[in-house]
Amino acid sequence: MLFSSYIFLFVFLPAALLLYYLTPARGRNLALTGLSYFFYGWANPYFTLLLFASTAISYFCAVIMARRPGDPATKELPLLDDEAPVSLRQKAAFWLSIVANLSLLGFFKYFNFGLENLNALLVTLGLDHLQVEGLFRIALPLGISFYVFKTVSYTIDVWQGSVRATRNFADFACYVSLFPQLIAGPIVRYREVAAQLASRIHTSEKFARGTSFMCLGLAKKVLLADTCGKVADTCFNAATLSTLDAWYGLFAYTMQIYFDFSAYSDMAIGVCLMFGFVISKNFDSPYHADSFADFWRRWHISLSTWLRDYLFTPLNYMLLTDRVRERMVREKFRYNYPAIASSVVVFTICGIWHGAGWTFAAWGAMHGILLALEQLRTKKSAYWKWPKALRVCCTFVPISLAWVFFRAADLGSAFGYFGSLFGLAPKTAGTDLVAGVIYQPYYLLTVAAAAVLVWSAPQTWDFTRALTWRKATWCYVLLLISIATLVTKAHSPFIYAAF
Amino acid sequence: MDTMTTLNGIFCEVFDEESLQITRATTADDVDGWDSLSHTNLIVAVEMAFNVRFNLKDTRVLKDVGELVDLIDRKLAEKG
Repeated sequence: MLFSSYIFLFVFLPAALLLYYLTPARGRNLALTGLSYFFYGWANPYFTLLLFASTAISYFCAVIMARRPGDPATKELPLLDDEAPVSLRQKAAFWLSIVANLSLLGFFKYFNFGLENLNALLVTLGLDHLQVEGLFRIALPLGISFYVFKTVSYTIDVWQGSVRATRNFADFACYVSLFPQLIAGPIVRYREVAAQLASRIHTSEKFARGTSFMCLGLAKKVLLADTCGKVADTCFNAATLSTLDAWYGLFAYTMQIYFDFSAYSDMAIGVCLMFGFVISKNFDSPYHADSFADFWRRWHISLSTWLRDYLFTPLNYMLLTDRVRERMVREKFRYNYPAIASSVVVFTICGIWHGAGWTFAAWGAMHGILLALEQLRTKKSAYWKWPKALRVCCTFVPISLAWVFFRAADLGSAFGYFGSLFGLAPKTAGTDLVAGVIYQPYYLLTVAAAAVLVWSAPQTWDFTRALTWRKATWCYVLLLISIATLVTKAHSPFIYAAF
Repeated sequence: MDTMTTLNGIFCEVFDEESLQITRATTADDVDGWDSLSHTNLIVAVEMAFNVRFNLKDTRVLKDVGELVDLIDRKLAEKG
């Protein structure tokens, strides 16, 4: 069930809101959990078992980690003191939760990919007879990458003593399964919503702001992302393209993914607000970034901060050996070796997190390399004296090029597309046919409007902050146009919902 | 020289800005270029200047310069 589908907009969401607000305050988290499981089980009820397993393992392991022997079961669990000695029971609970959650993700997301690569490797080695037949194909459970990252972050935070383990299973299950964030994030940390799970305020202002977030998100998805997607799909599915068409197609995809993810984030934040939850910004005008590090402070913020806290920082520290420390000082911090290496490793993992495929790994690695190269640029570099618009452009173009890997079906297609971008692809009979589709005025205008909005429109966050009648009317009109547009075409899923 | 004065000199060197003035309330948002990548440089520079060693947790939980100063003072006190 996707946010831009009829069933969600006209049946599930109104019914969920009605049920939620009719439920007495102390039963609302449980009601929300039930609704979230129904939402999640809509496509495949068996997947709710995985969601429950991840929740239950993380919950019980955290309780075991935090509970001191002899404490009554009703007592609030203490924060773990990382100076205190750790018992074998605590250590086992921590590792059980981490290994079990990552195994769930590993098996359900990467089994098929691993098998395909193993077979390919055996063929390359001339060991065809040893190929493992695919006895079964694993269907990717929706949102597993997102909720596993939530449960893993909770486990680590409890272990490190930065959050108190909860005894309230209903609250914790509500946190993990909260349907607005279940399919494609944001990857909200438990510590961010722990207080809100215990008690939250529902106001008409909050609800109205949530509704406007929803309207604007829906409009971004239906009117902009899906239309830009038509141009991008045509170009990326074409056998060959002229150079101009290839750049236009890539620009359209760059706009599509921006509005698709921005739309999802808006709708997720909006629906959360409707249920009284306030969550942080996940998207902060990423194409306004004037460096790659700046881009990652703005794009999918909940993922980039997750990677920073749980992967980048520990890895960075691990690489900081005595020899590296001495060398950094000797060279007057000209080269930040641990950060350079960690960027490449962490962003390659970030790529693979998005999808089990070499294209995603290449996308992540490209970002890691760009970030690593950026480390070599000092603060006194002439780059920082360039006009901001030029710096934004120098950041935007490589990021757009990296999207080729993200969008292409496989590495061969990605390199083929790069060939078209740089005029290296041969022209075929079909090349001119593409132009007949992608330059239709409606498409051209939509892609141009998307570009104008990216670089000049206020963020939804700011637009909805002080809601006036005029702004509300805008939202309402956009909602009506979006619904009318939805009637005329089949809805397409959110890109990030596939991860 | 007290911890804050020495630390100010380190910030100027690491963040390549001679006129930088830090206070206990200074956070990463206030210093141009202080992010998770350049934080490594800062940590190593501080370790070398004060002859102390931080562990992973020390480097993870710092919220502002004040906490860094307290951490340095604690490490120096532990050393005796």
